[in-house]
Amino acid sequence: MGQLLKHPGKSSSAARCLIALCAAVATAAHAADWELDVDARLLTSDGGKSFLEAGLGTVRYGEDQSGLRLGRARAAISQPLGEVWTLRIDASAWGDKDKSPVGVTEAYLQYRPYPFSGYRLRVKAGAFYAPISLENRASGWESPYTLSSSAINTWLGEELRTIGLEAQLDWLGTRTGHAFDLGLTGAVYGWNEPAGVVLATDGFTLHDRQTPLFGRVGRGGYEPLEPFRQIDGRAGYYGGLEARYLDRVVFRALHYDNRADPTAYDAVSRVIAWRTQFDSAGLRFESGNGWTAVVQWLNGDTYIAPGGFQLEWPFNARFALLSKRVGRHMLSARYDKFVVERGKGNPEEDGAQTGHAWTAAYLFQLNPQWRFTLEWLRVVSNSYNRGEILGTTGAATETQLQLAVRCALGSSVQ
Amino acid sequence: MGLVAALSQAGAVFAATIAITVQEPGGHPLAGTVITLHPLEGQSQPAPAVHAVMDQVSRAFEPDVLVIPVGSTVAFPNSDSVSHQIYSFSPTKRFQLPLYRGTAYPPVRFDQAGVVTLGCNIHDDMVAFLLVTDAPFYGRTDATGSWSAEVPRGRYRVSIWHPRLRDEAVDFERELTIGDTDRATLTLRLAKSLQPARIEGRPHSWDSY
Repeated sequence: MGQLLKHPGKSSSAARCLIALCAAVATAAHAADWELDVDARLLTSDGGKSFLEAGLGTVRYGEDQSGLRLGRARAAISQPLGEVWTLRIDASAWGDKDKSPVGVTEAYLQYRPYPFSGYRLRVKAGAFYAPISLENRASGWESPYTLSSSAINTWLGEELRTIGLEAQLDWLGTRTGHAFDLGLTGAVYGWNEPAGVVLATDGFTLHDRQTPLFGRVGRGGYEPLEPFRQIDGRAGYYGGLEARYLDRVVFRALHYDNRADPTAYDAVSRVIAWRTQFDSAGLRFESGNGWTAVVQWLNGDTYIAPGGFQLEWPFNARFALLSKRVGRHMLSARYDKFVVERGKGNPEEDGAQTGHAWTAAYLFQLNPQWRFTLEWLRVVSNSYNRGEILGTTGAATETQLQLAVRCALGSSVQ
Repeated sequence: MGLVAALSQAGAVFAATIAITVQEPGGHPLAGTVITLHPLEGQSQPAPAVHAVMDQVSRAFEPDVLVIPVGSTVAFPNSDSVSHQIYSFSPTKRFQLPLYRGTAYPPVRFDQAGVVTLGCNIHDDMVAFLLVTDAPFYGRTDATGSWSAEVPRGRYRVSIWHPRLRDEAVDFERELTIGDTDRATLTLRLAKSLQPARIEGRPHSWDSY
């Protein structure tokens, strides 16, 4: 709990505010569902300086952060407003140097009318995650399999948030005598112009630290930046589809384009618009005897064109995860592979990165409230920027071992 | 056809007990199969209406399958600490119970025979089935895949239904005559494997995204 211990007054008052806020909202509305989690970590790492401290480490904690840390303190509330509207707010403290000790990761209003003739419409307005990850399925957009997310989903948590409007139309086949459900999703959004800059600077990383809506994300060698900004007045979009076989198989595919104007530059904030497009696809398979397999793939590019020249960074990442659940025990293993390439216009290898990672995790769920997780993560990567910006060697093998103790309370924890 | 064969159809003279066993393709007994008997001769009345209860416990319907005669009512209490909404858009009975906890609504009456699929508009993983029958005799198989009942002698249409059957209900019908024996037995073995059962023990919080 490094930061908490360093600033006990600041953070404990924030924690009190979180609890008071939850209690107040839950009391005011009888039907509200709420949840409070605290996740403490005991860890050792030989990683490079953390991305949150202008380093180019690929894991959450650098070597200087070994010890007792706050993984996450989270408060979430789901407040029905009338019959078919729900307000959801998810706030977290991460125990690190962000702008404020508590940040909101998601806040949106959901319209969920009753299904009609086998079809159902769902509309979200606000800030939320795009339906891409098949790994981050648990409350708080956490992975139930490992502590650290895959490279793909770590990046989504760092730089992408839908701040806008999303509609999803589902055909509920399993409610009409079929074995399949199908869904189509479309969204328009803004406040996403810087998305891509972290990928082009730090490359892919593997951790569970999500950027709050008004929070900042670190960049190796540079000042942290706020990724959720609007500077060019252009809306982005994504369109995706989802297919489910009973409660066993989920397939998702999505095309994302933030439609940023790559020539836009905000002189006040000194933010450049990054045009980021990608395709993603993933499959999750679960068996009746506790096995889960997840594969995800992401391929795209980001580019900027300020002042008449164009720089491009193509990127690609994929992973495969296998997990076995036996009662209250779960063992998971994951292999990640990722690359950020030197694209058109780049005179040097600036921003290029290649790497792969192995993750192994053992999870013990004592009861709905208490969970213990041991995770070993090794990332082997080569980053041009490590040598160019930090003056160290480009190649690095980083290993992080974490023991997490998580306590959850709430109306939905049972 | 869904049923390979009536493997044994014994007795049939002056009998009043019918014993039916349902098996999966490999011969394993199929518990929880709904069996209905419709007389093929003369007039018959549906079984007497009942007042049934389908609770909601730990984000699941309990029980998740109910068989009731037409005209019956079902109460849907919510014993969870989280709120639920119930919907059905099945032609047999369309209804909604707006967001609630505890016992907020009077029981719902089911006047038409057929299958009703229930869901919760908040929790997508919740699903349950009601089979509303106009048969005078009905029941569900036990852990040995068996069900028996005392019935008048005569010709019957035997129908089976299970939420994991892959085909339409009409494929799962057989005629049976109970003639002059004390006991008529019928063993039904499915020709096709069932759909996979729902995954058990998976935490509900895993369906948040």
